[in-house]
Amino acid sequence: MGPYDSSISPAAGSSNSSSSACSSSTKPPPPDQMDHLLAGAGYKVRSNELNQVAERLQHLETVMVKSLPVDISEMVNDAVYYNPTDLASWVDSLLTELNTNVTVPEPVPVNTDLSDLHEFPSGMNVYGSNHAPEMHGEFSQQAVTPLEEDVSIRLVHVLMTCAEAVQRGDLSLASLLIDDLQALLGRVNSGCGIGKVGSFFVDALSQRVVNSPENGVVQVELTAYENEILYHHYYEACPYLKFAHFTANQAILEAFDGQDCVHVIDFNLMQGLQWPALIQALALRPGGPPLLRLTGIGPPSNDGRDSLREIGLKLAELARSVNVRFAFRGVAASRLDDVKPWMLQVSPKEAVAVNSIMQLHKLLGPGPPIDLVLDWIRDLNPRILMVVEQESNHNQPEFLDRFTESLYYYSTMFDSLDACTAQPEKSLAELYIQREICNVVCCEGSARVERHEPLVRWRERLTSAGFAPLHLGSNAFKQARMLLTLFSAEGYSVEENEGCLTLGWHSRPLIAASAWQAIPKPSPATMGR
Amino acid sequence: MFPINDHVDLLIEVLQRLDGRSLGAAACVCRQWCSIVRNDSLWEHLCFRQLSPPPSVGTRSVVLALGGYRRLYMVCVRPVVSRLKAGESEVVRRVWNQREMELTLSLFCVEYYERLLGGGGVVGGGESPAKSLKFLCQAVNVGL
Repeated sequence: MGPYDSSISPAAGSSNSSSSACSSSTKPPPPDQMDHLLAGAGYKVRSNELNQVAERLQHLETVMVKSLPVDISEMVNDAVYYNPTDLASWVDSLLTELNTNVTVPEPVPVNTDLSDLHEFPSGMNVYGSNHAPEMHGEFSQQAVTPLEEDVSIRLVHVLMTCAEAVQRGDLSLASLLIDDLQALLGRVNSGCGIGKVGSFFVDALSQRVVNSPENGVVQVELTAYENEILYHHYYEACPYLKFAHFTANQAILEAFDGQDCVHVIDFNLMQGLQWPALIQALALRPGGPPLLRLTGIGPPSNDGRDSLREIGLKLAELARSVNVRFAFRGVAASRLDDVKPWMLQVSPKEAVAVNSIMQLHKLLGPGPPIDLVLDWIRDLNPRILMVVEQESNHNQPEFLDRFTESLYYYSTMFDSLDACTAQPEKSLAELYIQREICNVVCCEGSARVERHEPLVRWRERLTSAGFAPLHLGSNAFKQARMLLTLFSAEGYSVEENEGCLTLGWHSRPLIAASAWQAIPKPSPATMGR
Repeated sequence: MFPINDHVDLLIEVLQRLDGRSLGAAACVCRQWCSIVRNDSLWEHLCFRQLSPPPSVGTRSVVLALGGYRRLYMVCVRPVVSRLKAGESEVVRRVWNQREMELTLSLFCVEYYERLLGGGGVVGGGESPAKSLKFLCQAVNVGL
């Protein structure tokens, strides 16, 4: 037995340290070896059998739950015949014992992401969010019983059928189905998962059916204060807005490098939560801070407060504390296409950044407002146009397509919310999202403003409007990743997509950030010569 | 007996080498220690002694304007570091990098602003952080 004999296992007590150094490798173990995570818990399962064993254990649970109590107690009173250490044969033996004739479903090809199966010994919960969508796995749930799972699947089916009926104009069927849906909702856990998001969609559908299926409803308008509260809670409950703000700020900071006079135009000021971090970063930049002008666009006040001015004052106070020369201007406009470029008072000597966090999609309604707005943005000659949008297609002409897509999208978003922090913040954040859902499902025409489109469409649109893409650098990417590790839920992922960044829940991107630069228009003097 | 309280410079040298928790405990020893520990420069040292390269010149005035180093440590540095290195026992004995420090300062600034929004009283404001940083203090819910 030489020192390099690889058949010596390190645990065999060989005192030759070079032997154990050789037999420990950094390669992943070959698939027919025992899974080392489960081995640590005392179970021996081969890595290439993990899926099968998982399926069988799931099936065993189903059978045990559905069996009459009398059968189980017989099993429980007997001594344990089978050694559970060898999980595969143990579960097979138990299944045979219970005389099941039901065929075990073929294992669905899933990601063999071992971190999901690590939950095994404690939960027997195989419903990780990595399940392939064709198994209805996009509505992932916390430990559900098989019965509840059936109800959830039925809920989704009936939702789709109802949406289809609405699209066809078959209102009587739709009303019946809504009653069905209410009944189903009573049978699922409406505190999380499909129960919760399902209830929002049922609500929206019933509003549409009852009120005005063709022309859509008009949503109740909230006061500016109420909107700000909802937005703030959404900001706190999940990382999407923080990701948007920090990524945008990093890109703007880089675009402003070396500039002494800078002007940021924010298409939706809200409470100005994005700007303190930029002000602070500018304060600390090498060479000192520039003169910063901020123009904040927001809806005109409908509750007597001048919210734009108040926020401007607070931001000015912060800027003064950190010695950044700062000037604020508020522009009140209920729609972005009401804004005229002269209101922004851009001076030719300053470097301009235009910041649009989930605003441009509101211009995709009937008419050409998006083209007009993109045109005057281009006229401002910004060094950077920052666009952050929801990564989904909720603007399809067919209602059923929109409905399906938004059901998938918002379920994923609610899953991610479920995995995050405490209670009170969450319910208001959910209300914020619920209003979006309502707008996508119930509204039509100019009232439907949540017309989200995916990144590929925005790329086409912006390119044809005369903008060139700016790659978001590795700094933005690393910062986004770091921001995510600070959140309590593992499951968020940042991806880089041709110079743009997306943030998603597991493999589904939910929000996309991209940066653009205006291509200067050819001047009239040089044309047509 | 060596009366350490008569040699404050030595005492500070010793205190500079402690971690945050021990500094907190040190503040409870006696009134003199308490007033020394409350000196912000000790906490500045704690925040950035492992930073390589050291923070830029303007950092101090910004941090002081936003609430000071002790607050920066309690509200941002400690939870951020423990979250970034979940599982390590020695929370502060690690080398920061520039990016981590910048992110921490930005979060500190957002927190200051949220207190501004919350209505007045920013000076000496409460010890508990504003809402947006509560996520840092929540227990990490990993794989349960």
